[in-house]
Amino acid sequence: MSDEALLAGMAAGDADAMAAFVRRHQGRVYGLALSVVGVPAIAEEVAQEAFVRAWRHAGNYDARRAQASTWLLTITRNVAIDVLRVRRELTVEPAVVAEMLISTTNDSDRVADSERITTALRALPREQATAVLLSVHFGLTAREISEQQQIPLGTAKTRIRTGLSRLRAMLEVSHG
Amino acid sequence: MVDPNRCGEVADALAEVATGAASGPDRARVLAHLADCPDCRRELDELTRVADEVLLVAPEHDPPAGFEGAVLARIAALASESPAVPPPSPPPAPATDAEPDAVVTPLRPRRRRRALPYAAAAAIAALGGAGVVWQATSDDRDLAAGYRETLDVANGRYFHAAPIVDDNGEQVGHVFLYQGEPSWVFTVLDDTVDPGTYDVSVVTEDGTQPLAECEVDRTGGGAGSTVDADIYQIERIDLVGPGGTTLAADLSDDD
Repeated sequence: MSDEALLAGMAAGDADAMAAFVRRHQGRVYGLALSVVGVPAIAEEVAQEAFVRAWRHAGNYDARRAQASTWLLTITRNVAIDVLRVRRELTVEPAVVAEMLISTTNDSDRVADSERITTALRALPREQATAVLLSVHFGLTAREISEQQQIPLGTAKTRIRTGLSRLRAMLEVSHG
Repeated sequence: MVDPNRCGEVADALAEVATGAASGPDRARVLAHLADCPDCRRELDELTRVADEVLLVAPEHDPPAGFEGAVLARIAALASESPAVPPPSPPPAPATDAEPDAVVTPLRPRRRRRALPYAAAAAIAALGGAGVVWQATSDDRDLAAGYRETLDVANGRYFHAAPIVDDNGEQVGHVFLYQGEPSWVFTVLDDTVDPGTYDVSVVTEDGTQPLAECEVDRTGGGAGSTVDADIYQIERIDLVGPGGTTLAADLSDDD
């Protein structure tokens, strides 16, 4: 059954659909949560909360705007960042994690549909890829990135904007 | 007509709205520009899709044993609070040998606003005792998500903006209103108002409800929250600032 069908079932109160949806995506959701908050017990809470929110908002999901997986991961990221903003001690070295996210050492744990974006991120200048990941993955503003990376604010903004634009161009090419 | 120079001015902030990291004032500034600029709306839509795809790079990890059961138990508990649906049977125990397909309880999402943040705050409080703060940041994140979801329907019936004016009728800011799940109101004051804390209230025919406290410094400020009232029921947004300064956005003629 497709993700879209499962989400429609969840919106209608189908518990089987909810269980199937959780089973299908739990590894990915927990993996993202763990990469942001870094502590397994807290990542589990984040992942649980992400699925609760997905259940609540399943009726608002619009397949024309996003794949179900990216929709769910966006929810997960938002929950994880909520936690980070309160528990600052969890944020050890986001830049190091950002490097690890596109490192080849993680390739065995990647999901097939991440190959395109991973390749594109690796093709970016490293500082742009890091800025994009810090912004997307950890929700850091350009100001926070400039402070953490010890670079001018304008440079941080440019890296985020240029990095995203280049990613778009590369993804458009790979779409054909 | 859109001033093309404005597109360049918001380009950096636009990218941060796409990644979901923009600050409240930056989001509001971009949103105000988007209302009149279809090119930037399209740009933001495309960059947002790219940013969302970046999330796919995180490697998979199996969650701890019992994860699935724990999620379903939480949802069953939340669903059981709804008066609109029958109480579910007991949720499955979060054990590794639980039979996933045995869960057949109807789990209809509740439609009461705000309930989830409170429940989520309780959950996070159990982790670190920071529930109140988490509640606040959660609302802000929800607002951020709301902004992004609004983009496709800007100028439609689900989204509205109105000027905030002072006693002399001079515009000093904007209020943005979104009808959805949840509905929300966000006020932005510019750098012409006195710095300080402004109490923001929503006025409907049923009375006045406090909305948020808006902290304003010399560069301006913004604040907002979800609202229980339908947007079309809101007649006015009142802001009372330092020394009793009164500002307002009149929505009574809007429809």
